Amino acid sequence: MSIQTFKRSALVGTALLVSAAGASAESFKWASNTDPQTMDPHAVNSAPVLSFLNNIYEGLVRRNQGMAIEGSLAESWEPLDGEDGWRFYLRQGVTFQDGSAFNAEDVMFSYQRASSEAADVRSWFAPVKEVRVVDDYTVDFVTNAPNPLFPDSIANFMILDKGWAEANGAELPARDAENFATMNVNGTGPFTLASRDPGVKTVLVPNANWWGDVEHNVTEATFTPIGNAATGLAALLSGEIDFIQPIPLQDVAQVESRDGFKVLEGEETRVIMFGFGHEHEELLYSTDVTGTNPFQDVRVRMAAAHAIDIASIDRVLFRGKIDGASQLVPAGISGYSEANSTRPAYDPEKAKSLLAEAGYPNGFSFGLKCPNDRYINDEALCRAAASMFAAVGLNAELSTGPVRDYWPQLRADEFDMYLLGWSPGTFDMEHPIRFLMSTPNSEKKLGSWNFGGYSNARVDELLPGIQREVDPAARQAMVDEVVAITQEEVAYIPLYTQPLIWAAKDNVDLTQRADNFFMLRWVTVN
Amino acid sequence: MAYFILKRLVQSVFVMIAVAFLAFSLFRFVGDPITQMTGVETAIEDQERLREELGLNDPFVVQFYRFTGDMLQGDFGYSYRTRQSVGEMIASRIPATLELGTVALLISLIVGIPTGVYTALRPRGFATQSILLTTLVGVSIPTFVIGIMLIFLFGVQLGWLPTFGRGGTVQIGGWESSLFTIDGWRALLLPAITLGVYQLTLTMRLVRAEMMEVLRSDYIRFGMARGVPMRSLYFRHALSNTMVPVITIIGLQFGGVIAFSIVTESVFQWPGMGLLFLESIRFVDIPVMGVYLVVIAFFFVLVNLIVDLLYVAIDPRLRIKDES
Repeated sequence: MSIQTFKRSALVGTALLVSAAGASAESFKWASNTDPQTMDPHAVNSAPVLSFLNNIYEGLVRRNQGMAIEGSLAESWEPLDGEDGWRFYLRQGVTFQDGSAFNAEDVMFSYQRASSEAADVRSWFAPVKEVRVVDDYTVDFVTNAPNPLFPDSIANFMILDKGWAEANGAELPARDAENFATMNVNGTGPFTLASRDPGVKTVLVPNANWWGDVEHNVTEATFTPIGNAATGLAALLSGEIDFIQPIPLQDVAQVESRDGFKVLEGEETRVIMFGFGHEHEELLYSTDVTGTNPFQDVRVRMAAAHAIDIASIDRVLFRGKIDGASQLVPAGISGYSEANSTRPAYDPEKAKSLLAEAGYPNGFSFGLKCPNDRYINDEALCRAAASMFAAVGLNAELSTGPVRDYWPQLRADEFDMYLLGWSPGTFDMEHPIRFLMSTPNSEKKLGSWNFGGYSNARVDELLPGIQREVDPAARQAMVDEVVAITQEEVAYIPLYTQPLIWAAKDNVDLTQRADNFFMLRWVTVN
Repeated sequence: MAYFILKRLVQSVFVMIAVAFLAFSLFRFVGDPITQMTGVETAIEDQERLREELGLNDPFVVQFYRFTGDMLQGDFGYSYRTRQSVGEMIASRIPATLELGTVALLISLIVGIPTGVYTALRPRGFATQSILLTTLVGVSIPTFVIGIMLIFLFGVQLGWLPTFGRGGTVQIGGWESSLFTIDGWRALLLPAITLGVYQLTLTMRLVRAEMMEVLRSDYIRFGMARGVPMRSLYFRHALSNTMVPVITIIGLQFGGVIAFSIVTESVFQWPGMGLLFLESIRFVDIPVMGVYLVVIAFFFVLVNLIVDLLYVAIDPRLRIKDES
């Protein structure tokens, strides 16, 4: 090809591209940093998969724009009469994308599939004793104890067609090999899969027979995973994609300064915190303290809390986009304790005197572990915190690493203090109490992310009550007590709520949900 | 000749086994695949069961034996991340990387050899000095910076070329090619230039150095004295002798281009093997990483073999030695 013909064809190519863009204004392209690992809704319990598949599959209930639960494949639900659990009344006249009808058998089948050993989402069904099909459009979920949260906890439980799964040998989710459901879908949701090329491109088209009211105007949606943040930003600014989630904080100014683009900012439901090795008898990484663990003294933990200056972290690292956190869920989440909403003030003098009181007038050194690829600015945050700790005499030896190394280290107890972010899957305070504050107990599946082994008998005693109590005021009273105890004992140092930053072209209207899920059915391209 | 090839093949098998062993022993330090495969709410015992099922608790030797045994039987296993067959995954990504690498190498040759010759013939010219300086700057800048600069100039500011992906592709008997559409070429241009810049400098400087060396040799001087036309001297005699070492390097470069396309593929979201490898590291996708490294080793071995054969074809002296 000579230079001339190449130039000409490049020009023709550009012209074609421009006219094509004009003709189909409702085609929509978006990018994110992670490709969903599978199209199977029960194989992996991770946000990229569940977020993506919520466009294709549906559950009994779903979350609306404000994160509240509303009916989806179930039109309504009520507590069971005479026993613990919930009765769901299913929507009639719903069909799957292959045309087969939806009924209670599909719910039953999906429950069995999602609670099987091969499923990664089976923890959602831990409280379920039995599921009964009452009639074609009524299903009972019987639980071991009263469970007011159950409908909330299954918002991402997606329903598959029984006949389709059986015909294609996908009765069970495939976790270590591929099966038909890994690459193919058959849901009831607003969109269906047109093509799938893992890691490269996935195309969705609207489901013409969807039961719901169509609010979007998308005729074809193309998803591209773009791992490199600079590449993603360039793809947006060059106009090749319409929307990207998330973008790095430092790129916000660049997007805002250009015409035709906008930044969507919100707060994720994720609280970032420091955790302690409560049950460690001695520090592992100290150069000057041996045989004892100063963090077992509440005064030392309180001193660490008072040493952190959230306002400076916000100003320097987050450009004013974070809010300090007082507890392990952000305000607005159910169970948030209004009564305990003040966080320890930044007070280095008090921190120093607390340390002196505890017998460390000159402070001591310890190991601080942080991930460097998990949370926004995680490594920078830990560097900042380490210097704030040092100012009061807590000399943190910081070590950081990628998250694939990080969790195994925490599980192996290789830390003195560590960084953790937590987003409550159920959007309720019960979730962090169960995972982070309960005494670790693998049999009861409690405290599985409580790496430091924090333990308080009263908290353990209150949890079952919180899980069962139906009366909101009585329940909140118990939650308030747990929050008060863990604040007083400085079980963790809650730092702030992580910001959520998306960017899009100006002509795209979309909804940013606090769980970082992206719903195509709320997209309009103008 | 046949003996020579056979000897090289046997050596190659040992190289591949060594690479597989090294790669496999490194994976123990990459991190835990299970925590990347499961959600936060997965019970510890479910994680443990999965670990057992995948054979991650087995001793290193057993795991390595299983890995190589399966590979030799043509079973490349399943990806921990996508659950696809690893053989299919790699095979579907090979065309993208090979096309990118080939075009990058062609760019480096088409530009590098003539400029190398030119700068050798006019070593003190102003143009030569500026070319040398420019290429020096070119090699000093890391590949990803060049890539991002190109993206922002031609993609974002001017809007001429796409910033990511392969553009339009055509299926030709299982080979997904971007060489037959305008859209594909537009997408290919920036990554190929990015990947080719470093090689270009290398090729140019090598050709220049070799050419200058040859021009100083006696047979060229005698040729000049005898009045052989300069054109014939430069291009027929000098250049063909220059090419022997250049072909070695080009061959090795091609292996290098394929192996080091990781950075370029990441910057341009180019769906080749390098990007797949990078994603696999992120997810501790051990089966994919293992197969990738073995495939790359195979490429190097293959390229080296071809280079050796080319030697024989180009340099008559080697042929005579082999026959005697």
